[in-house]
Amino acid sequence: MPEELLRRTFEIQGRDFENAGERSAQVTTILKDLDVDPNTVLRVGVVAFEAEMNVVMYAQRATLTFVLTDQEIVVEVADDGPGIPDIELAMQPGYSTASDEMREMGFGYGLGLPNIRKNSDVFSLQSEVGKGTRVYSKVRLASYG
Amino acid sequence: MRVCPTHAIRVKDAKAQYRSETCIDCGVCLTACSRDAIGATTTSVEDLSRFKFKVAVPSPVLFGQFPIGITPAQIVDGLLEFGFDAVWDYSVDINLVARAIQQYVDQWTGPTPLISVSCPVVVRLVQVLYPAMVGQLITIQPAREIAGREAKRHFSTKFGLREDEIAAIYITPCQAKTISILQPAEGVVSNLDGALGFREIYNRVLACASLKRSDGSKNSQPPIVRNSGLLRTHVSEGMGRLVQQHRYLQVTGLSNTIQVFNDIEKGKLRNVGFLEAYSCWSGCAGGNLTVANLYVAGTTLRAQARSLPEMDPVTEAEVERRFSTEDFSLKAPVRPRPARETALKERVHMRQLAEDVLATLPGLDCGLCGAPTCKELAKDVSLGDASKDDCVFLSEHRLQELRRVYVRSAA
Repeated sequence: MPEELLRRTFEIQGRDFENAGERSAQVTTILKDLDVDPNTVLRVGVVAFEAEMNVVMYAQRATLTFVLTDQEIVVEVADDGPGIPDIELAMQPGYSTASDEMREMGFGYGLGLPNIRKNSDVFSLQSEVGKGTRVYSKVRLASYG
Repeated sequence: MRVCPTHAIRVKDAKAQYRSETCIDCGVCLTACSRDAIGATTTSVEDLSRFKFKVAVPSPVLFGQFPIGITPAQIVDGLLEFGFDAVWDYSVDINLVARAIQQYVDQWTGPTPLISVSCPVVVRLVQVLYPAMVGQLITIQPAREIAGREAKRHFSTKFGLREDEIAAIYITPCQAKTISILQPAEGVVSNLDGALGFREIYNRVLACASLKRSDGSKNSQPPIVRNSGLLRTHVSEGMGRLVQQHRYLQVTGLSNTIQVFNDIEKGKLRNVGFLEAYSCWSGCAGGNLTVANLYVAGTTLRAQARSLPEMDPVTEAEVERRFSTEDFSLKAPVRPRPARETALKERVHMRQLAEDVLATLPGLDCGLCGAPTCKELAKDVSLGDASKDDCVFLSEHRLQELRRVYVRSAA
């Protein structure tokens, strides 16, 4: 059983573009402080950032939970957004429901979820239309292969 | 204390101390401290008397330090007058090193960017703050080291001296290179025997060079700088000019360099193949032992470079001759500093402890505890190197103690 070493939760506010990326930056700062290897930090950073941006773009609010164990890092983001009607479609690179306004800001290329999956060792996505979405990602620490 | 980029300075009992394992020799503290609390490591002129033959290996930026009109040849005469027996032109060496780097970069298949080891501060910065990138430091010796080795070999053959009877002395724009010669980052022995700062030789060289200029006497030396390559690599163009066809990035200034390394760490600079970073703003001409205004020095060097050919046949032939016979690799790999040995669980625990301490501190970063920031004090406490009671806000006693030390009337 992995031993839990550190747990943090962060609240993310939807539509708050000004502070977008702050929570994922905090996560990477913690990992860097702890001398976790940079490639792992990078992967977790991408996962947390993309998940955070999805909340900022589509949801009202969400909770980002970050758990470090002696073997892996878990990032879980649960929001109260509109939900995803077709998960398979949403997972396709390039598919996006972003508005023109979001695209003008440089987001909404349809790469967020695929990027999260690509950088995770374990990935799952649950969503219910009208209720919300939950993204779960696990990245193994380098020394645990 | 507060200017130190790696937080290596602490003030204990009214004295500045530094932690050698995290010091990167950048010299920022030397410039910042108006009270000379911190001194630079140098070689003294007396140290040199034990050698039979002394050859100066001047950093090319030396030629930009003197008033316009004073030529490199006159500066060489000044160095001979100063007491050197010869002056080494390392145009050939720099081209050799550029070729070796080119080969290295061409054959590299590991993570990028590869990082130049020319600036010793950058090497130590990577060791201390970016240990995961030490493998990306190019393991080719800097040109000055190759120059030192060749100068000694050359004069020992020429005059039948043993190599240990010859001193190769680097004429340096910064104290970081002196330290890199006296205590190399790889933990080996340098090919150079010491370094003298520009400031130590300036007055005497200037006096002699000015005299030569005014009496119009012929230089006793053949022209030392035969092509512009050596000068150009030291005025804003860098090695990127010599090492071609690689996604090259040059950055100068310590804070800019740190920013670039942070970006590399975040994965933002994936398209750079070869990175050349210099701690001093604008490169070596901005070194802390230079005399001339940085911008004037740049103009002087550029003017000299303009009047010289890009390459000359003598240099070219010598590069050709030496390249296949010499080994340019570093004598030992550069390792991270300080060595990290604690387990992740332990590190999490320490960090938690530091975070708890930090929550009780005022967050003003006043520095009166002797650490540069509250965060650093909290870290020191978690490591057992300091006490929470070093904070004047938490301890009346500490405040009284400081009053006794710093306020004379209270003593």
